[in-house]
Amino acid sequence: MKLEMLNEIIQKKSSSQNFALLTNLTNGNSEIFEFGKFLSNDFENYKKQIENYHSLKKNGVIDGTQIFIQNFTKPIEVIIVGAVHIAQYLVDLFKNLNFVITIVDPRKFFITAERFPNVKIINDWPEEIFKKLETDSNNALITLTHDPKIDDPALKHALKNKFFYIGALGSKKTHTKRCQRLKESGFTQEEIASIHGPIGIKLGGKSGPEIALSIVSQLVLESNKLLLNSKK
Amino acid sequence: MEKQIKRTILEQARDWFESDRKVILARVIQTWGSSPCPVGSNMIVNDKGEFFGSVSGGCVESNVIEECLDLLKNNNSFKQLEFKVSDYNAWNVGLACGGEIKIYIEKINS
Repeated sequence: MKLEMLNEIIQKKSSSQNFALLTNLTNGNSEIFEFGKFLSNDFENYKKQIENYHSLKKNGVIDGTQIFIQNFTKPIEVIIVGAVHIAQYLVDLFKNLNFVITIVDPRKFFITAERFPNVKIINDWPEEIFKKLETDSNNALITLTHDPKIDDPALKHALKNKFFYIGALGSKKTHTKRCQRLKESGFTQEEIASIHGPIGIKLGGKSGPEIALSIVSQLVLESNKLLLNSKK
Repeated sequence: MEKQIKRTILEQARDWFESDRKVILARVIQTWGSSPCPVGSNMIVNDKGEFFGSVSGGCVESNVIEECLDLLKNNNSFKQLEFKVSDYNAWNVGLACGGEIKIYIEKINS
């Protein structure tokens, strides 16, 4: 593989693009595949199969060929509302997984670069932030403040924009009240039920790191389900 | 604001290359039965025998490194490796899990 190719892959990965690396196992040639891109002779004949594997995010030697396809998929973008201590543990746990994190909080003293080094932070109200951020079903939302005036606008935005995962921290009582407010705002029972609340899978822990682990586990579980469903 | 920083295997490969190391990229291209690393897992090896990443969770790494060093020595640019439980070298390395894997190794060229 040429250094050029390696650099191109690194660059595409860091700008979170969907693409695949094709390798002809008989002559060692490699090429980048993206939808709509013209392929060289080595690969053009197998374009249909390549597209098929790519849309299924399937890695492997394409049936009946000597072409290996490796897909690079856009990471899931997780928006965390609330720069609280659980968010700090979340950042640590997400580090080795294919997620990109943004932390938002309108409270200046919570959201500092000292508390959150090497992660994107935005000091503003979720309502304002979502006016500028482009979001879709590749996004996940985790709300941690359990303050309705901070969490609720984010939850509403996530429901409307069909985030694939929405989780809200708070006790059962807090969550019941939250559901009631969302109902009054016009969200359907089904939409409200799609929120994971209280957030996280049941690990039985109460400490910050344990709660963070239960949240990350739930998000990983849901994202894997998503991948499995797309392969069916 | 900086994005979350994670040193990836490919970035490490580039760094090695730029500091004049010879670099081999090894990737899992096929698996049968149970195998610890999925297709697409990768590992890099340099001419000093240093490695980064994983292709089998520890079972065949030492053999892959040897093969990578051989590739450099013989001045070849790529090769396919296959590891099975029934292989002659299974006693040394082998896959304790009973799986089989095919690994593709290739040299990074300027």
